[in-house]
Amino acid sequence: MSDEKFLTRREFIAGMAAVGGSVAVAVALSQIKPLEELIQEELAIELPEIVREGEGHTVDSTHRWGMLIDLRKCIGCQYCVYACQAVNDVPDDMRWNVYLPDVTETGQPFHMTRPCLHCNDAPCTAVCPTKATWRRDDGLVVMDYDLCIGCRYCQVACPYDARSFNWEKRKGPSGYQPEWGNAEVKRRPRGVAEKCTFCIHRIDRGLANGLMPGEDRPATPACVNICPVEARVFGDLKDPNSRVSRLIEELPTFRLREDLGTEPNVYYVPPEGMSI
Amino acid sequence: MTAMIGTVRRQVQTYPFFSAWLVFLSALLLIGLISAAQVLWYGLEVTNLTNRVPWGLWITVDLSAIALGAGAFSLSTIAYIFRVKSFEGIARIAVFVGFVGYTSAMLALVMDIGRPDRFWHPVVYWNIHSVLWEITMCVIFYSTVLVFELSPALLESDVVSRRFKRGPQLGHFLHRFTPFVSVFGLGLSLLHQSSLGATYGVLVARPIWFKPSLPVMFILSAVAAGATLTLGITVFYENMVRKRQITTRLRNSVAMFGGLMTLGYLYLKLWDFLATSYYSHLPERVEANNLLESTTPYGVTFWWIEIVVGALVPAIILLTPRLRRQDIWLVVAAILAIAGIVVNRWNVTLSGLVVPMDWTPGAAELFPVREYVPALTEWGVAIGVVGYALMMFTLGLRFIPLFPEEDHDEHH
Repeated sequence: MSDEKFLTRREFIAGMAAVGGSVAVAVALSQIKPLEELIQEELAIELPEIVREGEGHTVDSTHRWGMLIDLRKCIGCQYCVYACQAVNDVPDDMRWNVYLPDVTETGQPFHMTRPCLHCNDAPCTAVCPTKATWRRDDGLVVMDYDLCIGCRYCQVACPYDARSFNWEKRKGPSGYQPEWGNAEVKRRPRGVAEKCTFCIHRIDRGLANGLMPGEDRPATPACVNICPVEARVFGDLKDPNSRVSRLIEELPTFRLREDLGTEPNVYYVPPEGMSI
Repeated sequence: MTAMIGTVRRQVQTYPFFSAWLVFLSALLLIGLISAAQVLWYGLEVTNLTNRVPWGLWITVDLSAIALGAGAFSLSTIAYIFRVKSFEGIARIAVFVGFVGYTSAMLALVMDIGRPDRFWHPVVYWNIHSVLWEITMCVIFYSTVLVFELSPALLESDVVSRRFKRGPQLGHFLHRFTPFVSVFGLGLSLLHQSSLGATYGVLVARPIWFKPSLPVMFILSAVAAGATLTLGITVFYENMVRKRQITTRLRNSVAMFGGLMTLGYLYLKLWDFLATSYYSHLPERVEANNLLESTTPYGVTFWWIEIVVGALVPAIILLTPRLRRQDIWLVVAAILAIAGIVVNRWNVTLSGLVVPMDWTPGAAELFPVREYVPALTEWGVAIGVVGYALMMFTLGLRFIPLFPEEDHDEHH
């Protein structure tokens, strides 16, 4: 597992960009909603339990969950990365939601983040030999850790590197609890694959209790809630009046590697200086 | 069992070389067992596999083992479906080589999956859209076919028939179904040998892999190398026991078959290269190839080992009457064919993985070339699998009648 080299040229450049980014972040942060407040709001979330199995919310195609990430707004603070790791109990080398400094073709730096894109035609679900990963009718690409045999074909097939494998039995905390949130889901066992779920536990319990994901905090993914500049918007893509649908309608957007035909449900607003 | 041990003991006393060989095999198996225990106890963290290069040496081991076992279906198809009577003389050993190949592959696969306790899941929880599901089902069914095809030989063996008097009779009865079972086996083999290539060929995001030729390349290379290996093992065994087991005519026919298949494979491989890398320039593929050329020995191993040493040279040996008449050259051809297959499967598996996928919208060169060198434990398991295969060959050739009893060639 330890094939990391000490600082390649690319990593060095990325590192320098990160340092530069951090300064910009500090400046930007002084003008926005304090982190402390955001985290307190996150920690205050008490997930309503589903009273009885099968009660309340059924998964069907009336919703299709999706996300908009506004790259013009993103300041590269990586709060979404840490909040995700805390809530879903993910260690650093298995991040479901990743950040990387990027530049446009004209050389302007911008901040890129990537959750699982929850593709409509997800290559990972096509290749899984046991249907341990599949696309739900509401658009979420999910995992059944009890079915997974750990063949890692999904990792090889995913065009976005969005899947992680449990190479070892994990010990100790993820390193981000409780500062960034509490672990809300069970830790995955050794030998299975895992991925971003759009905080499926919040969506399902929220809906079962009459909350609307994307509008009500307890039913919305942690990465969206924690974002201090509201660069991430979550909601129902099937509902033309949801905030996410209206923004996609209004703004210029693109999706990652559209040429592959995977039909992601995560849309991006291009940063300044990028033509789409 | 005691009789078997007795025979081995006599063998050891008579042939000191044989005992040295057994000690060597036991050492390989011991290394394998220790490594396997480590993997099962600590999990896959003991490997050098990563989230970016999740497949490595073991995939090469099981792909190669399955490919090298392909003589089983191709040669028994000729013998039992096309009814070329003379090929029956080599069908049994071919099936046995296939059996060893498939069981070796399954050993490596069980080590490779994160949850070995769930190896049976694909049989119960189906995903018919998955190439890997199809392969799993085919390999399981086909292994059953191989056991069935091998059962007459097992029942006829001294070890079994001494205890089970009607064994040979039952074996003879089962043998009558061989043609039907062969048809079934042919279908299963065509399917999964090809779809092992499709495993890579269908992945749209990997420009090196994504092409329709891989399924065809996989099955052709497997048929060619499988036949060559079966012939090589036969000739090697003939020299061990100092007695011809197959007729010169059959030997020539199998050599011709292996040689022509290898030429056919080379021809398609040439066009695969020309069509994807010479006459066309898909930007992503060009970039990926350049990256491979500059960071890995891919180019050298592709041209020199996959093409020249692993395919062209064996084809020349097999198709030149003066060379294939000499035993040593047939054994050399088999060894080179194994090298060609192993290096090809390694190159296919790793070439697609070490080239990073670029999914970011920006222009930053963010993704470093991924590196992978197998860990000691991975080598240990691989050595154990090779030890298992060699041990099976040793015991099988010693205790199971894998060649016809009579009509040995009188020309020798």
